[in-house]
Amino acid sequence: MFFLKEETKIISLHPSYFGPNMRDYLVTRLNEEEEGRCTGDHFVICVMDMVDIGEGRVIPSSGNAEYTIKYRAIIWKPFRGETVDAVVTSVKPTGIFTLAGPLSVFIARKNIPGDIKWEPNTVPPQYTDHADQVIEKGTSLRLKILGVKPDVAAINAIGTIKEDYLG
Amino acid sequence: MLLRLPPSLHYPITVTSLLKQPGDAVERDEALFWYIYQTTVEEGDGLGNRVDVKRKFPTRFESTVDGEIVQWKIAKGDVITGPVDVVEIDEPCAHEVQFGGLCAECGKDMTEATYNTEVMDSYRAPIQMAHDNTTLTVSEKEATRVEEDAKRRLLASRRLSLVVDLDQTIIHATVDPTVGEWKEDKDNPNYEALKGVRQFQLIDDGPGMRGCWYYIKLRPGLEDFLQNVAELYELHIYTMGTRAYAQNIADIIDPTRKLFGDRILSRDESGSLTAKNLQRLFPVDTKMVVIIDDRGDVWRWSPNLIKVSPYDFFVGIGDINSSFLPKKQDIGETNKAVKAVKEKEKEKHAKQEQANGEAAKAGAENDVSALEQLVTMGGGDNPSLLKEQANAQEETIMHQVEDRPLLQKQKELDAEDDASADGSESSSSVEESQEAAKQRHHLLEDHDKELFQLQDRLERVHLAFFDEYDKKRSHALGGRVATLRGEKATHKDKDVDLKLVPDIKDIMPLFKRSVLGGVVMVFSGVLPLGTDTQNADISLWAKSFGVVISSKINARTTHLVAGRNRTAKVREATRYPNVKIVTTQWLLDSLVSWRHLDEDPYLLPVHPDDRGEPLSPGSLELAESTWLSSSDEATGSLWADDEGNEEMFKSSGLDDTSVPGYDEDEQALVHDELKEFLGSDDESESDSEAYGEETNEGSKKRKRGEGTEGVRDEETGEEEGDENDPQGSRLSQRIKRSYERSTGLREVATATGSISGPSGPHGDEADATKAGTTDDQDDGYPEDPDDDDDALEREMLAAFEDDDPQAEEEAAAENG
Repeated sequence: MFFLKEETKIISLHPSYFGPNMRDYLVTRLNEEEEGRCTGDHFVICVMDMVDIGEGRVIPSSGNAEYTIKYRAIIWKPFRGETVDAVVTSVKPTGIFTLAGPLSVFIARKNIPGDIKWEPNTVPPQYTDHADQVIEKGTSLRLKILGVKPDVAAINAIGTIKEDYLG
Repeated sequence: MLLRLPPSLHYPITVTSLLKQPGDAVERDEALFWYIYQTTVEEGDGLGNRVDVKRKFPTRFESTVDGEIVQWKIAKGDVITGPVDVVEIDEPCAHEVQFGGLCAECGKDMTEATYNTEVMDSYRAPIQMAHDNTTLTVSEKEATRVEEDAKRRLLASRRLSLVVDLDQTIIHATVDPTVGEWKEDKDNPNYEALKGVRQFQLIDDGPGMRGCWYYIKLRPGLEDFLQNVAELYELHIYTMGTRAYAQNIADIIDPTRKLFGDRILSRDESGSLTAKNLQRLFPVDTKMVVIIDDRGDVWRWSPNLIKVSPYDFFVGIGDINSSFLPKKQDIGETNKAVKAVKEKEKEKHAKQEQANGEAAKAGAENDVSALEQLVTMGGGDNPSLLKEQANAQEETIMHQVEDRPLLQKQKELDAEDDASADGSESSSSVEESQEAAKQRHHLLEDHDKELFQLQDRLERVHLAFFDEYDKKRSHALGGRVATLRGEKATHKDKDVDLKLVPDIKDIMPLFKRSVLGGVVMVFSGVLPLGTDTQNADISLWAKSFGVVISSKINARTTHLVAGRNRTAKVREATRYPNVKIVTTQWLLDSLVSWRHLDEDPYLLPVHPDDRGEPLSPGSLELAESTWLSSSDEATGSLWADDEGNEEMFKSSGLDDTSVPGYDEDEQALVHDELKEFLGSDDESESDSEAYGEETNEGSKKRKRGEGTEGVRDEETGEEEGDENDPQGSRLSQRIKRSYERSTGLREVATATGSISGPSGPHGDEADATKAGTTDDQDDGYPEDPDDDDDALEREMLAAFEDDDPQAEEEAAAENG
């Protein structure tokens, strides 16, 4: 699910950047460092705007300036039970690896409808029901997230396509 | 799942009531039954006294898993004295496939642990199965299932699995930017050779290597090889390169991914940076797997391995991805190969340019240093050093980028060419040097035939495997026809019967053993000093083909593999008519082509000075012609009565089945046996006589002993490994040597503690004695003035060794 969240971040700036474009530079830094980041809990999708840059404070002994920036960002936190669209990255006899945006989701063989079978002899290998449904690398899938596990800088998730309106 | 009581309970326990009935659902940590246990506790009686009292306590037993109760294995009132199965619980999910710490089937977190957890759920699926992903793990059951499916499929299409290494096996890669320049430069002598070289750039391949261009040379015939082999084998890539590197190579060698699909395993997923493990790809069984690789050590010389000769196109570059691996042992070997090629080339162009040949040789010699440099950078395989090694690899690559070994080499060559041209004719030096350079484009030369042979071998293995399979199957089918039901079963899985699958691990070694079976060889000048002759790469490789490696020449030896000419062993070998003195190339070519090649083209030209020893017939040619008969006789007569020696051979780990390791105990055993053997020899005479005889003979066969002593010395320090001095100065040298030796007696004894050590002088003497009895050439030696010295020294040595085997063992332990 997507949220608009207000967060703070401390950026320390080298004295060589002190000058009229300081603010722009801070914005660039913030975008570079935050967008696409995975905290382990959620993904930061996009930094919307800066609410407050705050006062820069020069740190004794280094000369760097430290800014505490408050900003708003769109984040995505995947939940159990959420339905997402994903692209297949590889298929294996044990299941299908997909990417739903930044989130890697694995669909185990048991969570694939019984009529869609593993077919290793084709190139590339695929899951197919020998009719119109073919799942191979690059196929788009709609899946439901069964479980989410936060890691240090990544999130792993398990999905299923064995329900109505999925696949 | 059967729930078992943990051993940590306070046994004996008495079950007082069961809380769940079959059919009830239980959750994790929910109570299953009540029980009481008895224990002694300390209690106060209210008056300040403390008394030990026996008490009974009621407790609950809690379930460790979710599910539904199927059956109780215990009943109310049971007294349980140890861990037993308590209850059978039907789990909704056995968590057999897990992805990143989650069960891939039910989505539960597998890493959670409570007070009640005995075995983490994540241990239920310990096996990594996917080529390109380490987060996916499966249970043994699931792995077996997947693998059986795969096997069924392969058998149905009559294919096997082939694990292919990249670097130096099917391609050769370098990052030397010189290659790029040469590729652009039409005038460059190497332009022609570089035509087939492909390139790609890896942007994010670690810090410091940003945007490094990789130049890839495919091994000649690779495309056809892969196409043909893919019909017989399902191909997998297993490389020590990074993922990105492997992907790029796969794009080059298999752009459509028809051959490899995404069966690519790189070091990012391998789990080890120093070894390759077949279990990583085939966790359950490896019956149908063949490996091709240029290095045996990373596979621990797995029986599934077909070792190929390394492909060395960019001379001196080596394997850019091997920095993590332990030092390559057979530097000599590869260089020899290169050198041999060069030398062949030299012969070809011999008329034209002597200088060119020399230049080529110089280049080859330069290889040694470059390769060694690369290799030493790799260092050991201590995991704690990995980071250092990562840096080392970076450095290696940077080094290559900056130093441009190829350019240096070419420059060197050109310089030499120039020099020679100037020397001979000062007039058209430029032209000639250019011409020479053009001739010389075999700095990068490309006549590698390995893949064609390899294909042939793979076909043979495939054929043998399926012959065996068909034989077994038809056998089994014949038995089944009797029963109708059996026939039905065969119909069910028409082509496939997994139980009958023969094992590649049995078939291939059998195949290989027959190739050089019966060959007993001795190395000379092949391995660097101090290398364990049994465990060196080339020895292990040779052993897998049935070769018996021995450390010294005796009547059983059939081949002497000499890395260079005029070593002491070569000289000694000339005295045995049955020993063929061949170059290393013979061994390599035989191993590579899986055939016992004819030795004639590989015979080492023996220097006339080295021959002349009366034991051998006048010339080597003569020895060749009489070889068959004489060897038969010799082996027959010599070995019929030599049980002791035979056993010594076995116990010292010289036969092909034994483990190459050679520990202290074994050494001691050998020593004892040797003593026994020698003792039995001496039984007929009195001790003093035996010694007298020995010294006497020692003086008589001065010259003969010379050879063996040389061997010993070669092992100690190679002070005289290359005895290229003219005969004249030998005498004085010998005197000097004998002095040295008698003063440094201790040292010599220490040195003999090496592999061949314990059997050192005794073994030689025994052999020599035998040799003496068969062909009586003992007489006719001129008496040398230093004979007495030598004899004395011998006696002292012998006595020393008899007296002090303990010290020698210590020495042996020190040495290896």
